[in-house]
Amino acid sequence: MSTTYIASLELASGAVLLSAVMTLWRRGVRSIVTMLSLQGIALAAVAMVLALHEHERALLVTGALVFVVKGLVVPTLLRRVSRLDPRSRESRPLVNVPASLVFAAVLIVLAYVVGTRITSLAPSHATHLAPLGLATVLVGYFMLVTRRRAVSKIVGLILVDNGIALVTFLLTSGVPLIVELGSSLDVLLVVVVLQFLMVSMRHHSDTDQLTEMKALHD
Amino acid sequence: MFLAALSICASAAVMAAVLPRRPRVVVSAALGALGCLLASGVALRILLTGETLAFHTSQVLPVTGFSLTIDPLGAWFILVSSFVGAAACVFNVGYAKGAMASRSALSMFMLFIVTLLAVPAASSVMTLMFFWEMMALSSWLLILTDQTRHPDARSAALWYGAMTQAGAASILLGLLVMTSHGGGQSFADVSAHSLALSGVTRSFAFVLVLLGFASKAGAVPLHVWLPKAHPEAPSPVSALMSSSMVAMGVYGIIRVGEDLLHGGTVWWWIAVALLGVVSALYGALHATTSTDLKRLLAYSTVDIIGLVLIGVGAAGALADNAQPVIAHLAMTAALMLVLAHAAFKGALFLAAGAIERATGTRNLDLLGGLIHSMPVTALVVVISAGAIMAVPTLSGFSSEWLLLQGLLHGFRVASTPTVIVMLLGVIALALTGGLTAVAFVKAFGIGFLGQARSTGAATARETSTSMRVAMGWLTIPSVVIGVVPGLFVPLLNRASSSALNASVVSPLTRDTGVVVSKLGGAIEPAALLVGLVAVMALLWAFTQSLTQRRARRVDAWGCGRELQTPRMQYTATSFAEPLQRVFADVLRPQADVEVTHVAESRYYEQSLMYENRIVDVLEARGYRPLIAVTMRLGRQARRLQNGSINRYLAFGFVALLVVLVVVG
Repeated sequence: MSTTYIASLELASGAVLLSAVMTLWRRGVRSIVTMLSLQGIALAAVAMVLALHEHERALLVTGALVFVVKGLVVPTLLRRVSRLDPRSRESRPLVNVPASLVFAAVLIVLAYVVGTRITSLAPSHATHLAPLGLATVLVGYFMLVTRRRAVSKIVGLILVDNGIALVTFLLTSGVPLIVELGSSLDVLLVVVVLQFLMVSMRHHSDTDQLTEMKALHD
Repeated sequence: MFLAALSICASAAVMAAVLPRRPRVVVSAALGALGCLLASGVALRILLTGETLAFHTSQVLPVTGFSLTIDPLGAWFILVSSFVGAAACVFNVGYAKGAMASRSALSMFMLFIVTLLAVPAASSVMTLMFFWEMMALSSWLLILTDQTRHPDARSAALWYGAMTQAGAASILLGLLVMTSHGGGQSFADVSAHSLALSGVTRSFAFVLVLLGFASKAGAVPLHVWLPKAHPEAPSPVSALMSSSMVAMGVYGIIRVGEDLLHGGTVWWWIAVALLGVVSALYGALHATTSTDLKRLLAYSTVDIIGLVLIGVGAAGALADNAQPVIAHLAMTAALMLVLAHAAFKGALFLAAGAIERATGTRNLDLLGGLIHSMPVTALVVVISAGAIMAVPTLSGFSSEWLLLQGLLHGFRVASTPTVIVMLLGVIALALTGGLTAVAFVKAFGIGFLGQARSTGAATARETSTSMRVAMGWLTIPSVVIGVVPGLFVPLLNRASSSALNASVVSPLTRDTGVVVSKLGGAIEPAALLVGLVAVMALLWAFTQSLTQRRARRVDAWGCGRELQTPRMQYTATSFAEPLQRVFADVLRPQADVEVTHVAESRYYEQSLMYENRIVDVLEARGYRPLIAVTMRLGRQARRLQNGSINRYLAFGFVALLVVLVVVG
């Protein structure tokens, strides 16, 4: 077992969580999308490292797919959406940034407390990192709840998805290609739908702040 | 054979849904009546031979399959349902107009009949609950049939829906508790394993099931839906609800308590009998003061079902006190009363429907003089009301006499609580007898005698042939059970031993009358009838021989006024007024008098308005506060929903965190 493998796996997994936390820290929509892009690349790196270590060609293909969809295509689409309003910022999140970061720390601790029970079932270097994925899921969900912009919300959703993907990579050494393909394309579809939705929302109500839209239609 | 009957009725439902308007009514009624008669035949054969029919398939309901078993107890209730069902089908040919002739109403009607036939045959928990819920659902929709003409129907349906759902949930929970300790969910398995349950568990299960079935049976204080829902349904449906569906509640109590739980303990049955006592008195009292004809009938259903529950409770308590023979007698009385009630209450509800069709109202204070325009309906009402008042030689007398025998012989039991309940039962029987007589003398006297109190009543016409045939059909049992009750003794013995799970030699022997052989006591209504006719003939001859003069016809004395108007007659309200005064503490009547004086002098009145309302005390004091609390909680729960997407997402997030913390 090479130390390079362990070190690179830890680095890439840590980068996934770090980029998740950084999305909470940044306010500008553009830089949030950049963080997402970094996370996609880190996630792809996790898959690649695992694939090289276990000599699985299918996992290598999955890693490449993740790199293309989550590292390049989705961020590009989101950037295009955010270009509709270049100055758009997450100006008033429901929970402010310092508090969000403290909360993220609490969530990470929780993820570790819960996650160790899962990792103790089959201890290995990869599974020990699984709580990082769980923490990413929780941070993503937190973002989904506390941010107002539609783009931030979609980023939160993708964070959740990336966290789940990280957990599956680390615990099972990669799900079958077809499953990963399916979930990646789902995310892509969500983003495309969002693009249409944003355009029509701006057309109707001149804002993309979802908190402004309170009245439910019958 | 029974399946054929069920499928014929089901095909009637399909026909009702596909055929065009005119043939729809006739074809579905014919098929429905045929199916019901077939079911009656099957039930009679089972009651005569004592054999048990069983059928099981795993095709219809997934996972659990579908099982039907008809034993003599079930057969007795199928007999009741199918007899009334056939009449209701025939009646509907003449009655169905407007909303009741629509596809949905007719097919729901047929479906309702199917479920009424199937519930007593169900022999597994899932099959029972399936048909039970179908029965509730179809009858619930039928209440809403005429909601455009009767705006009260919606609120009635709401009450009924809430009560029946709560009841069904309670029954299901009770049955699940019974099946929880292993064994399958068929009744045979439940029955075999129920003795292994602890006493507390069994009592808990029985109380749950009792609450559910008692609410369907309309036992006070779970009756509040009944006087609302039964009057609002179209008349053939009210007849079925009041005579068969309510009996299903009684069936359920007997089936679970005696069969599945093997009789349980004495206090269960004392509770059942006490429910019966309260229902009988409360129902009878409200029946006397109701002015709405169908509401009066509905309250009288609460009354009679109370008497049936007294019988069932007494039978259970006596069986647990090791008095199988007297228990058998009480159970027989209860079962006989179920059939008698089904027939006379069915006939009365159909008659009420006929009157409503003919006059456009069912308010007794607007009726009057119908005996001249609707003689057949009047005859049906006389016979059925006589039966309900327990006039000798009619069915109510025979069954209530048997019940009284059972209760009186029950005094020889050593256990004090049981004796007290028997005593209360006797008192209730006596008091309700009187109150019921007042209620139905009022219903007939105000509705059919005197002069018409509205133009609707004055222009009434006799109903169509099919409706008259149906009403006549339902008076047959009232007369037959009344005159030759012995005819039913062998059937009843089978049903009753099957109900009590015991092969006791019946104390009743068959004759034209009924002889309670081991205990002493006998009635011979046929002889009574002959004697009565003879005495009447003699009296008639005697008076004829005394009076030579021919009758003179003159105007009745109008207290010095020249004009006699129908408004000078007694009304239903005034008839019940003395009783209302006596029982004011229970009924809590609210009366408003509003007097407008002539401008010149305060000694002369220009107009006088009197309003008298009686609300159901239990509803006002017990249910309204409960509803208010529920509404308040509901309004508070609505604050959780403000339409903010962030809030909804936060719910999910918090739930996830809670789960993680609990698990971790």
